[in-house]
Amino acid sequence: MRRGKFRLMLAVFAAGYLVALWWVFTRSAPLVSARPVTIRFAHWQIEKGPPDGIRAVIRRYEELNPRVKVEQVEVPGPVYRQWVRTNLTGGTATDLMEFAYWLQGMNDVPVRYFEPLTAAMSETNPYNRGTPMEKVPWRQTFADGLYEMISQSPEIGQVYGATLSQGSSRLFCNRELLKKITGSAAPPVTLADFRTLCAQVDDYARRTGVVLRPLAGSYSNAQWLADFVMFGTLTGMSLELDREGYLARWPWQAQSDYLLGRWNYRRPEVKAGFAMLREFTQQMRPGFSQLSRDDALQEFVRGAALFIYSGTYDATSLKRLAPFPVQAMRLPQPTKDDPVVGPYVVGPYKDGYLGTSFELYLNKHSPHKAEALDFLRFLTSVEGGQLFMDHSGWLSSVRGVKVPPEMEIYRGSMDGHSAGPQYMGVGPYSTMAFWQHLNLLVGPQGSVDKFVEALENGMRKQVTEDARVQIRTDLEAIRAVDTEIAAMNALNRLQAPDPARALRQHALASNQTVAEINEGQAAWVLQRHGYRQP
Amino acid sequence: MSLLLGVVCVPPAVRATDADVAVAWEHLGRHLANDALGALQKSGAPDSREAALAEAVVRIDLQPVTDAGLRKVEAQLSELARGRDEIAAAAAYLTGRLYQVHFFTPDPVRAAQIYAQLADKSPASFWAQLGLVKLMLLRLYVLPEAGDPAARVAAAGALLPRVTQPELQRDALIVLGRGRLFHGQPVAGVLADLLAADRIGGLTGLRRVELQLQIAELSRREKLWEQARVYFERYLAENEVDGRMATVKAKLAEIAAAQRAEGPSS
Repeated sequence: MRRGKFRLMLAVFAAGYLVALWWVFTRSAPLVSARPVTIRFAHWQIEKGPPDGIRAVIRRYEELNPRVKVEQVEVPGPVYRQWVRTNLTGGTATDLMEFAYWLQGMNDVPVRYFEPLTAAMSETNPYNRGTPMEKVPWRQTFADGLYEMISQSPEIGQVYGATLSQGSSRLFCNRELLKKITGSAAPPVTLADFRTLCAQVDDYARRTGVVLRPLAGSYSNAQWLADFVMFGTLTGMSLELDREGYLARWPWQAQSDYLLGRWNYRRPEVKAGFAMLREFTQQMRPGFSQLSRDDALQEFVRGAALFIYSGTYDATSLKRLAPFPVQAMRLPQPTKDDPVVGPYVVGPYKDGYLGTSFELYLNKHSPHKAEALDFLRFLTSVEGGQLFMDHSGWLSSVRGVKVPPEMEIYRGSMDGHSAGPQYMGVGPYSTMAFWQHLNLLVGPQGSVDKFVEALENGMRKQVTEDARVQIRTDLEAIRAVDTEIAAMNALNRLQAPDPARALRQHALASNQTVAEINEGQAAWVLQRHGYRQP
Repeated sequence: MSLLLGVVCVPPAVRATDADVAVAWEHLGRHLANDALGALQKSGAPDSREAALAEAVVRIDLQPVTDAGLRKVEAQLSELARGRDEIAAAAAYLTGRLYQVHFFTPDPVRAAQIYAQLADKSPASFWAQLGLVKLMLLRLYVLPEAGDPAARVAAAGALLPRVTQPELQRDALIVLGRGRLFHGQPVAGVLADLLAADRIGGLTGLRRVELQLQIAELSRREKLWEQARVYFERYLAENEVDGRMATVKAKLAEIAAAQRAEGPSS
């Protein structure tokens, strides 16, 4: 009995030992990397697709560069802002990191923590050798020449990062269901077609007793839909408010315009936009504003909604999760004969994002800056872009990458007006007020008038706070440039004159002055029109 | 003998060399204030005007920035500003900037005085010229005594002839033109300033796009069709991805229609 127990223990021990051996030799990572340099790259694009695309690029890069190991750090979006700030401040940030100009309260980060890539961007990308981009400066190899990133840079004119992707908002359709309901898989061409289709869906659901809505619903999907509706309806208002002749309006100008009484939420075109937004959101299930983007995605993939309006960044998730063919299409735009917003439509408007995104920045304090920059070059080369796109299903930002026909529709169009904000708030405070009151517009008892009156009650205070935040963040960026101008000037004094440096000194001074014009005008409006001092 | 020994044994004064200071400025140009301070302190305390200026600028950028810390910087800069060289001019300008935008409670009146004194003392210096541009901004939007909008524009415009360095003159013209527009002055004056700025040239990127579009669209509104057309077409030729291209094409079509309607004399 005792001997039998001993043998059993011995057998268990031997089996355990063999499993451990197998694990060590086949599965576990070595305790010490064989590669002398490890660089880490953090991002929040943890949807289905991008991590696979980045893994494919890393695999190829490590083949080409045996000295370097690249680790991908996937950080969930809701905590990303805090994660970035904490790690940058604590000196534990990754070598490369995703960042975006629209992250609230982070305006100071690029200047303080990221390495400018302006000089590197004017050189060619060595990983583009043998491709049509071989002799093209790195910056011009991006589909938008990094225009969007540069125009939003806290230090205007300075390039702080590179982009990996581009995309748009699109209507994704369950083709099988569309054919079942209408007898045809033809997508709606006009907004009138879309309205008819929504009515057919409701009729089909009533007749068959299935739970089915025309649009999958959530707070986020409603937001994107609202962007689409309001942007198109209010392009004319933006052009009317454009006293300066920029043919565009930015949120900081819309703040001053509001405080000067040049627009408000009672204007007829704004109310028409809200009426259309109410009409569209009524095609979603009740209570959608309490639901998340994932809820809408699940609603669509289980066949409970015919369409989902979402970013093309959801395309891979939709295609991989849905048990039916998914087709991306453009949501038809309202035209001048539209019964709701027609009188305010000035023509076709921008459909999708013209700029590239998924912005990657180089940590100024990285111990392996040269290697990280090299990896960034590969990631955004024609080969890297192709690998990323083929394995992620996301459109690459890089020119020269071969795009499959079914993904062409993800690109933004350049053939429409693009003149301003959507006016669903013009800063953090007013935006919060807008979404807090949205139930008064889209709820069962909601109405445009109820919503507008609730918004206008207190909006002046919210916009004043927005303007104060804007001035404060502008001033932070303006102050930071003083040091750089002094540095360029001193280096030209101490070292051999460098025309590029002198040019940079003047560009810095020029950009800072223009930023101060804008700041001065915003502060004037606050101070001289009875609002609180900034 | 002991005196001689003493002289021999005293270590030579450690000087922050120009190379050390240049390294510090390189770091400052990238906002690496701690590294810049390290480069300066590597060789001991700053012992040249160059090093002293660099250290003062480091402390403008060094976190955490406090008002008390900035007051110390002001004292350092005021000391440096007493000379008549380029460093003195830079120090005076930066003192003005402290009062204009860095102190937690700005003092625009003091900043304006400093810029005006600097422009009198070293009129040709880059710093004095840049100070004049900032003084124009203060007169247009901030200073309490500048008067009504027309008086503000006039007071800012009076500084323009003193800005002679081309790049800064261009910026001054843009400041003045946009100031005129903001304060509701006639568009003809705005266009004259912006066109003069464009003639100086040298703008790139978004600044160039903004100037082109502003001249084009304001010209269109003034019915200066040919000028509007030229600038809109220049914008289209130079920009591949700007979001306003469709709007510009629509404006060009409007201009063509207006020119046709007015006949060949337009």
